Amino acid sequence: MSVPVRPILSALLRNRTGAVLVAMQIAIALAVLVNALYIVVQRAEKMGRPTGIDVDNVMVIASAGFTERFQTVPSIQEDLAYLRALPGVVAASVTGSIPLSDGGSNNPLLTNPEAHAGENYNALEIDEQGLAALGVHLVAGRNFTHEEIQPPLTKLDASRFVPEIIVSRALAERLFPHQSPLGKRVYDPLRQSATIVGVVDPVMGCFPSSDHPDWVYFLPRYPYAFGGSLVYLVRTQPGQRAALMRVVEQHLAKSNPDRVIDWVRPLNYFRDLTYLGDRSMEIYLITVTALMIAVTCLGIFALATFNVSTRTKQIGTRRAVGARRRDIVQYFLVENGLVTGAGVIVGCALALATGYYLSLQYALPRLNLYFLVGGVLLLWATGQLAAWQPARRAAAVPPSVATRTV
Amino acid sequence: MLKMQDISKIYRTDLIETYALRAFSLEVSAGEFVAVTGPSGSGKTTFLNVAGLLEDFEAGSYELDGTNVRALSDDARSRLRNQRIGFIFQSFNLIPDLNVEDNVDVPLRYRGLAAGDRRERIASALELVGLASRARHMPAQLSGGQQQRVAIARAIAGDPAFLLADEPTGNLDSLMARQVMDLLEQINEMGTTILLVTHDPELARRAQRNVHLIDGHVSDFSAYEPRAAASGGADAAGAALA
Ligand SMILES: Nc1ncnc2c1ncn2[C@@H]1O[C@H](COP(=O)(O)OP(=O)(O)OP(=O)(O)O)[C@@H](O)[C@H]1O
Ligand SMILES: [Mg+2]
Repeated sequence: MSVPVRPILSALLRNRTGAVLVAMQIAIALAVLVNALYIVVQRAEKMGRPTGIDVDNVMVIASAGFTERFQTVPSIQEDLAYLRALPGVVAASVTGSIPLSDGGSNNPLLTNPEAHAGENYNALEIDEQGLAALGVHLVAGRNFTHEEIQPPLTKLDASRFVPEIIVSRALAERLFPHQSPLGKRVYDPLRQSATIVGVVDPVMGCFPSSDHPDWVYFLPRYPYAFGGSLVYLVRTQPGQRAALMRVVEQHLAKSNPDRVIDWVRPLNYFRDLTYLGDRSMEIYLITVTALMIAVTCLGIFALATFNVSTRTKQIGTRRAVGARRRDIVQYFLVENGLVTGAGVIVGCALALATGYYLSLQYALPRLNLYFLVGGVLLLWATGQLAAWQPARRAAAVPPSVATRTV
Repeated sequence: MLKMQDISKIYRTDLIETYALRAFSLEVSAGEFVAVTGPSGSGKTTFLNVAGLLEDFEAGSYELDGTNVRALSDDARSRLRNQRIGFIFQSFNLIPDLNVEDNVDVPLRYRGLAAGDRRERIASALELVGLASRARHMPAQLSGGQQQRVAIARAIAGDPAFLLADEPTGNLDSLMARQVMDLLEQINEMGTTILLVTHDPELARRAQRNVHLIDGHVSDFSAYEPRAAASGGADAAGAALA
């Protein structure tokens, strides 16, 4: 049997107030749903990017020397010797800044000493165990040797460069497109040169929120201890980090009376802090969208229930003149489908307009059309589901209602 | 054609059981025009509902066109109502949101007829009830008598063998009631079997046979005097409408 859309539509148009309101609700819900989900997915993609770092097994230790007697290099050597000797520790390194923390330093690099100025890239000071302490992998070349690790910069010698550097593959591709970067020279702003000895991939540096968090290079140098502050990265065997964090904190607090241990934290802490805004945004958007859809479902359900309960006599009459139960179910689902359909069509326009506005306003990528299609299908299906129960109730109206009600 | 034997129909509520029909037996032949009378609460509507497959019954047997309707599924009953039975209600039961022709169209759509066929049937049914010019009117724009004639057009557009009418003139003044009655007689003369429930003894007298109900069973048959014109069956009605 063909679906009697035209008479359903003309009956609907005679009672359109509720239908129009629900359709508007659906339209707004679609616009919110599609754009919110799109943002959520973008955030999730951002947070899900590979870091190359063994985040779950790395701890970060902040040590602060506070007496006149405190000496940076001996302190580093003593601490690292202790950490590296601990059972369960895979590698330990001193570092200039904390990876994934959205804090660190960007320094210019040039590929051509004649060039006017270089671009800034994330620079991270580590020692020969730095890569191992992060868990990142060399894909070409070699690691730094112990002998290559430079002493920290000092006030008198603040612009010294290093002879060797290791770069991320993304930065290598940036500096020397389609060439092997090994052995290539790069320059600091004073035109001091360094040779690229290794390439790591994948790796994320200190700035996950930047446009290119994987443009990062490593310097073989102990960091300059501002005010006596030092940061260590320690990577443990899987599952041993929590226990070792306590051991390490207790030992280091006592081992050197000229400094204090500010804190010992898992690297996850810094990554999570960096993504806190994204995570909160995600939760907020998902919650608001879910509530929005729930309210829309209630609206659809209420409209369908109202339509059924005000039409019991009509339903009984239809049954009396030959409608089967499924014809009645179909009637209400088609009616609801028309309302939902109108809402969804308006919603598409609204979603695209909102997406366009957001893309201009917040420099987001333009709304992906798959999301629109997905949102349309989801809302349509949810709408039909919300009308299902009232439609079933309509079908249960007995045909004798036709003669028994006035 | 319609054969009910010892039907009982019980309405149960928490407190009481009402025997709306009790040992109810009746036979109606093709082409008859039967008026059903009786005091309020005697079971007239119940009888019509059972006869029209709108309600089930507890005991007894009911054959319609030789089919035992008790065995039928809900869908099969719907189909039988749709194809063999036309209903006329006291309060017309037009669908207020549909215009006249869409109202007449309702059972035809459930029958799955092609658009052209439906259009022809709607036109000739509205022609018969004298409302061809009102096809696009909404029910609210019509008088009670006109609404009931639309309902009659809806009932006969599908060429039913039976027309069941429960107080079809109950909401109409006497002039309109007579018009409706004339129409029913005309339809009966074309071969449709009619069961008419009425309080009005004058209308009842115009039927060929009167069945009087008291307390859920038949208390009295009036004499059966076949009218000369009432000869054909549903096919004759179909031919006349087509
Ligand atoms: N749904 C129901 N539930 C309970 N009892 C019912 C129901 N419908 C009808 N009855 C009872 O069944 C009996 C027959 O009712 P029915 O409607 O057939 O009477 P009627 O002859 O059509 O009366 P009226 O002339 O007032 O329309 C009455 O006693 C009525 O109260
Ligand atoms: Mg009655």
